[in-house]
Amino acid sequence: MTVRGASISLLLLIGIVFSGGIAGAQEPAVPTSEPAPLGPPLSGTALDRATEEVSSLLRCPVCQGLSVADSPASSAVDLKAEVRRQLAAGYTRDQVVAAFERSYGEFIRLEPKAEGFNWLVWLMPILALVVGAVVIFLRLRPAHRLPADGGPHPPSTAKPESKTS
Amino acid sequence: MISILGRLVVLLALLLATIGAVVSFAAAQRNAGGAVARARRLAYAYAVMMALATALMIFALVRHDFSVSYVAQVGSLATPLHITIVSLWSSLDGSILFWGLILGAFTAGSAFHLRRSAPDQLGYMLGSLFVVGIFFTFLIAGPADPFAPTPLPVPTDGPGPNPLLQNHPLMIIHPPMLYLGYVGMSVPFAIAMAALFAGRLDRDWIRALRSWLLVPTGFLTMGVMLGGWWSYEVLGWGGYWAWDPVENASFLPWLTAIAAVHSALVLQRKGTLRAWTVILVIVTFLLTILGTFLTRSGVVNSVHSFTQTPIGPIFLAFLAFCLVGSVVVLAMRMDTLASDPDRETLWTREGAFLINNLLLLVFMFTVLVGTLFPIAAELVRGVKISVGEPYFNRMAIPVSLGLLLLIGIGPALPWGRADNRNVRRALLFPIPAAIGGLLLTFVLGGRSWGVLATGALAGYATWVNLDQGLRLSRRRREDEPWTEAVGEAVRRGARRYGAYLAHLGVIVTFVAIAVSSSYQVAHEATLRPGESMTVAGYHLTFEKVNALSEPHRISERALMRIERNGKNAGMLEPALNRYDSRMEPIGTPAVRTTLGHDLYLSLMNVGTDGSIGLRAIVTPAVVWIWIGVFIIVLGTAICLLPAGLRFSDRRPDALPGVEATA
Amino acid sequence: MNRKVLLLGLLLVAPLLVMLGSGLQHDPHEVVSPLIGRLAPDFTLADLDGRPLALTALRGQPVVVNFWATWCQPCAAENPIFSELARRYAGRARFISVIYQDTPEAIRAYELQRGSWGPALVDPESRTAIRYGVYGVPETFVIDARGVIHEKVTGMVSFEGLTRTLDKALAARNLGEKL
Repeated sequence: MTVRGASISLLLLIGIVFSGGIAGAQEPAVPTSEPAPLGPPLSGTALDRATEEVSSLLRCPVCQGLSVADSPASSAVDLKAEVRRQLAAGYTRDQVVAAFERSYGEFIRLEPKAEGFNWLVWLMPILALVVGAVVIFLRLRPAHRLPADGGPHPPSTAKPESKTS
Repeated sequence: MISILGRLVVLLALLLATIGAVVSFAAAQRNAGGAVARARRLAYAYAVMMALATALMIFALVRHDFSVSYVAQVGSLATPLHITIVSLWSSLDGSILFWGLILGAFTAGSAFHLRRSAPDQLGYMLGSLFVVGIFFTFLIAGPADPFAPTPLPVPTDGPGPNPLLQNHPLMIIHPPMLYLGYVGMSVPFAIAMAALFAGRLDRDWIRALRSWLLVPTGFLTMGVMLGGWWSYEVLGWGGYWAWDPVENASFLPWLTAIAAVHSALVLQRKGTLRAWTVILVIVTFLLTILGTFLTRSGVVNSVHSFTQTPIGPIFLAFLAFCLVGSVVVLAMRMDTLASDPDRETLWTREGAFLINNLLLLVFMFTVLVGTLFPIAAELVRGVKISVGEPYFNRMAIPVSLGLLLLIGIGPALPWGRADNRNVRRALLFPIPAAIGGLLLTFVLGGRSWGVLATGALAGYATWVNLDQGLRLSRRRREDEPWTEAVGEAVRRGARRYGAYLAHLGVIVTFVAIAVSSSYQVAHEATLRPGESMTVAGYHLTFEKVNALSEPHRISERALMRIERNGKNAGMLEPALNRYDSRMEPIGTPAVRTTLGHDLYLSLMNVGTDGSIGLRAIVTPAVVWIWIGVFIIVLGTAICLLPAGLRFSDRRPDALPGVEATA
Repeated sequence: MNRKVLLLGLLLVAPLLVMLGSGLQHDPHEVVSPLIGRLAPDFTLADLDGRPLALTALRGQPVVVNFWATWCQPCAAENPIFSELARRYAGRARFISVIYQDTPEAIRAYELQRGSWGPALVDPESRTAIRYGVYGVPETFVIDARGVIHEKVTGMVSFEGLTRTLDKALAARNLGEKL
């Protein structure tokens, strides 16, 4: 119980710290010129694979929740072609995703960037797993203290649990 | 005319629910059997009123009575009859009415089934159900009134239901199944609340809880699967699950319901996890209300959600009432439900159930966090973000593998005893099956670690569950005929048979999901008449486009001749449909299903020059997902057989061949 | 009364409710464009007759860029609004449109029927729409005299709203000229 309570306040604290950090970062009003490609130009099956990979990370703008890779919509086909062009020109996967983010906003990413406040979406499930495992571990009776017949402990040694775990 | 009649019936239902709630709680508090019987009759009357209201609405829909606002909203003279009837749940107001109908049926059904229960427990249960009933009937009576008269002048025709919902017969069966699952969770919730209020969760009440938990769980399982199947057949992207918020909303209560089904078993067997089971059941219900709020308030982006309506704040208020109310009742009454003084050891059946509960809850929490996180990010950062498929897949795969492992380990472990040697033998014995599964997967072409792990764990779990099932039906004497042994086993242990069967269904589904999502092949091409393309052994030739004019839509069908390995395999006709109400065409993919794989054709566009944009997808093992889920539901149904519920607990001395009555 | 349960329960429930409540205030379909305040991505596109038009050539006066298609109902409803605006701001601001996921034939037929208020540009493979981050149609960008994106309207524009934005952009330009 106290373990969980503490972890929740910790989460809230993390959230506040991260969100404060975000608010401070301001982007420049006018962007600098187009960045140069950082990777080798791709072609053939490597290009196919990279196109599929990158477009599965992008939200199809006219659909709801589908990725560009999955969507049969013609807009998605155009976006996929753009992904392909950029990869063929030597932009890296991260650069391509970042380019789409520059025009569409963070919403276009289907997977939240692991930074700032977004860390919570990745960390909270893991934290829940850890907290739950600890609660169960504390509740379990060690095997070696088991009476030979496997029956219950006498009431005096085991306090009634309120199972909120 | 129907407007007035419908509103009258709904108001009467609201009145009945209100009186019912008061009578039930009062009777429960005094533990008065006679008064509870009266409350029970009110429940029947309430169900009749809801049925009457629904019948009136269907009548209005079929008669195309556009003076009823809901008919004017979803009806159209051009829509075929069966779609007209189905449009009862195609839009918000009608779907809430449908919800009311099912709630009425569940209220009356559980009232009848549990009529011989202790008056206080039954009374509190009915009272809780009536409170839920008051809210939904209030919605039908006011904020989402489908019977409101259409403002004059009454139109002569309407737009028809949402085209996406007209496109496939699965839409006729998917929503009722889902609603039966969703709404049905009110009954175990009410039973749990009654246990808290009465301060008792005794043997009879645990049994009531378990059966009324299994019923909606079965429906929900079916509903979730049919939803996936529907999106597969209709949305044209070749997948069945996109982790869309509405899909997630149906999945969340399913996860906790499964957790509750398992913890209820521990409670039945060991007397522990009493309060915990109650909490799980309550959380399941709360998640159904949360899910309904998410789908109907427009707070999240989704294909399935109804358009933004003023109903959101009202739903939020009800959600808040349920959430805070549940917490307060739990805080006040939970200590009355003390478990038997026992704790679990890890390497036992009940230990495995604890881990099962942990994984299912972490899974639920992950899906919940992912679904709601965009709202949190907007609140805190003021930025719109997406949490989509890549996130959910990454998180769900390890948890799912863990659950698959538990399906193998759990049933192999004995209850309550942790003799190390026995445990080791029970767990090591099925290892060859795991190796077999691994090798089989490898031979069949599985290479990624996820698929290989699924194969190995599936082999292990299949062995254990088959072994346990067969062991149940072992002959007790040398001269006992097999038929008698099996009959006796089913009679004694329908519940366990059902469970092992459901486990096998889960294994089939897991494997099919792993295989189908890992080895999909997709190709896109622009074809002119006579041109062809090749994908995974299929040779597809485009012949021509047929434009069909139907009353409610214009359908452009591409005729595709299919050849597999040089042999003719028939024709497929993927289509693009244009509905009058909406200009963007909606695709209807064409699917050729075999036991091994599906060929899925999706028409992307039809050019003015007669060319088409076609997407061809070959996905292995898809059909086994549906089959696996059918097996799960079948197993759930077997668990509910009267033998499992009555014979084993109440009449262990019953003679073979004597049928139990429900 | 089990205080621990009450406290823990409310601690879990309260943030959830606050979040859902705040979610109701927002429209999940509206995404703020990151392009606002930035230099508008340049493009040179041909109109229906094949005449090229470059965005940079229009520098010096506010430009309204409307993404649309004939299959989109709100776009049709916008047509009279843009016609009226184009008349009112003739010579002071430019109005152009970019065709989104539609065929030139359909556009031509549409314009024959309902008239045109400015050049309709063909956007092969939606490349311009992608650089402008268009989620759907109609979407409208207001670019000021310096070529910086001033505002983005998702969905149907309102006559008053666009007038206000254009007047502001024009006032800013006049101020800039005086300095």
